[in-house]
Amino acid sequence: MSEELYKQMAQCIIDGDSDISVELAKKSIELKMHPLETITKGFVVGVNYIGDQFGLGEAFLPELVMAGEAMKAAIAVLEPELLKLGETRQMLGRVVLATVEGDIHEIGKTLVGTMLSASGFEVVDLGVDQPADKIIGKALEINADIIGMSALLTTTMVRQREVIEELDKEGLRPRIKVMVGGAPITRDWVTKIKADGYSEDAIGAVKIAKELMGKAD
Amino acid sequence: MEPLKFLSDDDLKAMHEATLHIMSEVGIIWTHKPSLDILLGAGCTVKGNRISMPAELVMDSVAKANKRPKIRGRNGQVNELGGGNLYFHNLGGARDVFDARAGTRRIATDQDVIDATRVLDALPNCHTVTPFFTPQDVPGELMSLFMYRHSLPHTTKPLQGPGIQFAEEVKHAVEMAQVVGTTPAELTLSLSPVSPLTIHDPAAAAIVEMAKAGVICANLPAPIGGATSPMTISGSLVQQSAESLALLVLAQIVNPGCGVVYCGRLGMLEPRTGLIWGGVELGMSSAATVQLGHYYGFSVNVYGFSTNAHTLDAQNAFERGLNATIPALAGADELSGIGEMEAGVMGSYGQMVLDNELVGSVMRLRSGLSADVEHLAVEIIGNVMNGTRNYLGQKHTLKHLRAGELALTKLAERNSWETWEGKLERKQMADHAVDEAERILREHQVPPLEPQQEKELDKIMAAAEKEMVKKKKK
Repeated sequence: MSEELYKQMAQCIIDGDSDISVELAKKSIELKMHPLETITKGFVVGVNYIGDQFGLGEAFLPELVMAGEAMKAAIAVLEPELLKLGETRQMLGRVVLATVEGDIHEIGKTLVGTMLSASGFEVVDLGVDQPADKIIGKALEINADIIGMSALLTTTMVRQREVIEELDKEGLRPRIKVMVGGAPITRDWVTKIKADGYSEDAIGAVKIAKELMGKAD
Repeated sequence: MEPLKFLSDDDLKAMHEATLHIMSEVGIIWTHKPSLDILLGAGCTVKGNRISMPAELVMDSVAKANKRPKIRGRNGQVNELGGGNLYFHNLGGARDVFDARAGTRRIATDQDVIDATRVLDALPNCHTVTPFFTPQDVPGELMSLFMYRHSLPHTTKPLQGPGIQFAEEVKHAVEMAQVVGTTPAELTLSLSPVSPLTIHDPAAAAIVEMAKAGVICANLPAPIGGATSPMTISGSLVQQSAESLALLVLAQIVNPGCGVVYCGRLGMLEPRTGLIWGGVELGMSSAATVQLGHYYGFSVNVYGFSTNAHTLDAQNAFERGLNATIPALAGADELSGIGEMEAGVMGSYGQMVLDNELVGSVMRLRSGLSADVEHLAVEIIGNVMNGTRNYLGQKHTLKHLRAGELALTKLAERNSWETWEGKLERKQMADHAVDEAERILREHQVPPLEPQQEKELDKIMAAAEKEMVKKKKK
């Protein structure tokens, strides 16, 4: 019975259908299935599948976004049940995300946030145009493991370095790891500014975040 | 020639009406208080964080704008935009340089800002220059001004842009242009709103400053169809137009009659890897943007040369060839992209030279065919049939060769295999282009600025640094 339901859960994530993912999450509660198992054996399977397909060039970005949203919707239903049981979903790590100061683009960063959340990270997304002190302040406040910074413009990517320099000055690395991303970001740039990781896409970002937490697949 | 049309008159009217509907009914996110007050005073209304612009105000602003601005270089060259000519300029804001000899890339340096400007200055088919590269050791706040300052001494052509982001940049850019004799009304500045339909505070503040200074507003909405605008190109064009016109409305209230260029930088989502710059959708949407801008009587500036390719290869050539040709045939007034590679993050000197030659072919297409008596050549045909029975010795032949009936190329390979393999050592078009770029860099001399002008530029940059960098570091 639950095997069949797990399959449907995975499928609704693959289809990016938030209505059905919410419906199935509610059904699992009625059936008194364990919320944690529902997440890991059902919904997460779908997220992983779509991520793999994207990596193979078989799935499209909009499918990734819709899968992430469907996942979020299901988790929102299941999380209160976990709390009732006195359990929490084991988090892989805490991440502060932001687009750097002077840059107001955030589609890619938001997608990274969605995929990180869907994969089990706790994510605080500060939004766009965030100065170094705000990003670092928030990271300290929530005791973040990772700071993720985005920049879309060749003229604003230089700001990523400012945040890293500030972290170094405060002696906050390697405690806080730094991931960077955005259209103009290259491996050379990452090396130059001494960031800890980068990815060209949201699926890769999840992989990097797991590696930085020592929890590689 | 008759302009190429993707959209019928009815299509254009429908898109115009859809644009006005979006501006008045959907509204535009706008939170910058001083400019909001200006807009409210002119009849706009606010719902939540969105401003609604009534159709009459939009059309009144369109009517007021100077749609035939002229831009000037320090050599006195004037490009009159919207007067029927097509002007080409280069890509602005590339991060990397493609080294065609090695097949590798490297990060652009300060020297590349200078070298790119010199190469573009030497290429006759690059009519307007914009600062090309973004060296990464420059503080972010100063990037645009730095690029502009270090380009100015190395071309005498109209040097336009830079793309700006902050109000503070306007004053310094205008001052620098004035040092080389370009008045604000002859200088274009650009900034990009955020798609969808969002004018963030620095952009709104910058538009007010641009309009006050009287510069030509060539703002660049750059939506990505499927991500920040609808997946359908027509829907994206409507949204792009609303974004463009929204900035125009503010500028025309602040300074009625200031110059405007209608620009579009619509790209499309590559649903697997990010952004399409090379697909024919770009050429098509650029052509449609030209039609839409001309519908209002504006001169129009869109993408021209654009590719996703990483080398000077076949994909590169066919993508940029198509994407420049389609909007050119639709009647574009300005096309961008000379030297561009890899969706705009890279450029190369060889590519600039190749594009210079491609412009020649595009211009030939634009000049079209004539069916007048002279070109029908009935009399010549009769003479030849009564005489030598070939056209080689006819004055008519030489006259029209000289008059440009053929776009005679310098780089394209048109020899026999033997000549190509022997004398030309199997060099292909791109090899010739790289040779030529290196020759230009070795030999091309640009008349330098006066020492006094250099000093003034340094002074302006020092003031900008003090004002913009130090202030932020507090």
